[in-house]
Amino acid sequence: MKKDRKRILEHLQNSSLVQIRHNELPEEGFSRSDTAAQLQQFDRNTGLMKQALKILDKTVPEKKGLLASFKGRREIEPEDIGKIASASPKVVGICNKIIDLEKQRADTAAERIRLKTLLAQLEPWKSLDIPLNTSDTATTAVFIGTFPKMFDDVSLSEALAQDEDLVFNYEIFFSSSVLTCAVIYVPKTQREQAENILRTLGFTRPLNPTSKIPSEKIKRLEKKDNELVKKISEATVNIQKYAKYRMSISDTLDYYNLRADKYRVISELDQSRNTFILYGYVPEEDEKELEAICLKAADCIVEFTDAGDDAPVKLKNNKFAEPAESIVTMYSPPSKYDIDPTPILAFFFYFFFGMMFSDAGYGLLLVIATTIGICVFKPDKQMRNNLKLFQYCGVATIFWGLVFGSIFGDAPAVFYKMFTGNEITMAQLLPWPTLDTQKDALTIMILSIALGLVHILVGMGCKFYVCIRQKKYAEAFFDTGLWMTMLIGFAILAAGLATLPVLITIGEIIAIASAAGLVLTQGRGKKGIFGKLIGGVASLYDITSYISDLLSYSRLLALGLTTGVMAQVFNMLSTLMGTNVIGIIFMIVIFIAGHAITIGLNALGSYVHTMRLQYVEMFSKFYEGGGKKFEPFSVNSKNFKIKKSDKN
Amino acid sequence: MNGIVFAILAASIATVLSGIGSAKGVGGAAQTAMGVLSEDSSMFGKMLVLTLLPGTQGLYGFIVGFLIMINCGVLGGEVPTLMQGLGYVAASLAIGFGGMISGFAQGKASVAGISMCAKDESNFSKAMVSITLVEIYALLAFIVSLLMVISIPGIKM
Repeated sequence: MKKDRKRILEHLQNSSLVQIRHNELPEEGFSRSDTAAQLQQFDRNTGLMKQALKILDKTVPEKKGLLASFKGRREIEPEDIGKIASASPKVVGICNKIIDLEKQRADTAAERIRLKTLLAQLEPWKSLDIPLNTSDTATTAVFIGTFPKMFDDVSLSEALAQDEDLVFNYEIFFSSSVLTCAVIYVPKTQREQAENILRTLGFTRPLNPTSKIPSEKIKRLEKKDNELVKKISEATVNIQKYAKYRMSISDTLDYYNLRADKYRVISELDQSRNTFILYGYVPEEDEKELEAICLKAADCIVEFTDAGDDAPVKLKNNKFAEPAESIVTMYSPPSKYDIDPTPILAFFFYFFFGMMFSDAGYGLLLVIATTIGICVFKPDKQMRNNLKLFQYCGVATIFWGLVFGSIFGDAPAVFYKMFTGNEITMAQLLPWPTLDTQKDALTIMILSIALGLVHILVGMGCKFYVCIRQKKYAEAFFDTGLWMTMLIGFAILAAGLATLPVLITIGEIIAIASAAGLVLTQGRGKKGIFGKLIGGVASLYDITSYISDLLSYSRLLALGLTTGVMAQVFNMLSTLMGTNVIGIIFMIVIFIAGHAITIGLNALGSYVHTMRLQYVEMFSKFYEGGGKKFEPFSVNSKNFKIKKSDKN
Repeated sequence: MNGIVFAILAASIATVLSGIGSAKGVGGAAQTAMGVLSEDSSMFGKMLVLTLLPGTQGLYGFIVGFLIMINCGVLGGEVPTLMQGLGYVAASLAIGFGGMISGFAQGKASVAGISMCAKDESNFSKAMVSITLVEIYALLAFIVSLLMVISIPGIKM
């Protein structure tokens, strides 16, 4: 029923279950209501509040911790929203006042600038004891003004004496390379003669002469200036007084944003005189909950149908994979034909990140920092997932750090040597066999490429599965399957080179068989026997792209090595000053600063390059993307979140 | 006559040339990023990532330089023969030039990526991935230099 419109929408908003579908035109027999006026009103209010908050931030900067951005939104009771609503007119009033005060302050500041220019103009005349607009006395003509060049007593009298008859007297008040301020007295009878000469010298009278003696005028202006300064600080103090409303202003801002969202939805509703229809998408699993909410809120009918092709996508994963959803959505949410790549991506993301960051000490720091972040700040879902992503990455980093024998680089070995004088390597310190990134670089490179092969094969396996699911068998077996067997053949061949010669033969047979299969099948879209054959042979050229993909995984080695070597360099630097007191202090400072730099640079590098391996090397094998993200109609506030109450 | 001077020269070549590439790349990207930040300072995190991408070449060069120093008797290892010293020079050329020129190119890509991201923040991941495409060539150069440097002490020359 139409009368329940707002109530139902409120419940939907609070539950965040439904994404409203936008229909271009209403169904026949229904109309839309126009909420543009209300929306405009909300926009105006939110604009006011944003401006007021900005002013407050400028005048009274909020004390924020460095980590405040991790903090989740404040929880409020559902009833509190009513309080915010009833207080909103008052808050709007406060915002208006704040903006007025700010305007006053800006105006006053502009006024002060004008005063300052006036003062600057008067400055040269400070010692003049007659008003600037003094004109002639009974017998004497007085010229007060400036010359656009430098004169001293001698040069001025010489200049004025060009007219030999002229009788004159003068005083110079100020003189600089571009300006000379002077007063010249001549008998009234010679006024015109004097004017002529002065004109040739470029003499000008002051722009805005006053009837006051300059020094007095200056005093008055200065007094006025002081008043203005006072006014500005008063306005500032007044603004500061409003700082305590900051929270309620941002609450109200949120409240208006929520209402604006609601009205935007209302304008999308198909309405008849007494009823309305709302179309939306809801995840299948939430159907029951949604029905319960709607029926409880009002008299209504809830129908569910198939979502159709352009339905938005909501990713659903277990705890292990969920943090990586943001990585998938950053690329593009899956389309209807894709499988959800998140679980696979999550595993390889953590794994490769760990291999590139590859230091047990850094990994431990990462785990500790993210755990503290999650436990102390109780961040919102998205931030929590981001922190979790790095938590899992940290675990993988610890694992690889231990494999590569790297704990803050070679810190344990370096300190052992520093304090005992005995040489020791990390390999000797650690009780398990380790791979040294520098000495065993070749081994690790082969390992990297082998892992890359697994990664790519998994990607192709997904493609295989997707094709089978869509019943495109030819594509599955010929396009994907044959390449997979070919790559596996090469892998066995390569393994055979290092170990058993039998494997070489097996690998060769598999690879050649796959190649033959490719030649026979890849041209199947072409016409004629030659076309088919050429198409088939040409497709073998794709091997280059697989090779370059595989080589790309050598970055696993490169970045792992970078971390290790940088850490090692800083460890070495930190022990330079020896074991005396200064040396120890120096060591601690360099150690902390150096490792902070290493962590910053390499964590960034590892993050970026893992992402690239997923996007370019794996996703290109099977993932199409292009889906739309499920964005439910929800409480989209920045400052508070409403506690989910069970009573509903 | 031993080859230590050449080994030192090699370390310098590796570090300096690739450093020039990164410095120019990051410098150009940083200028553009600051332009964007002057309009909208909330994009700092994203801009930082895009700006730092051309910075890896310098690191690769530095690592090769460092490994040469460790191997050739400056910071450990044995003093190389003349030919080994020349071998280090040859090995350092790969990351030196590879790093420098890919640094220039990646810097340009970064600038473009930053402008793209400034227009629409959702382009961030695409910009990032496209910029890292350049990186592979620095990486290949690095791996080649690296494998040569660590194997030179074992080769009799």
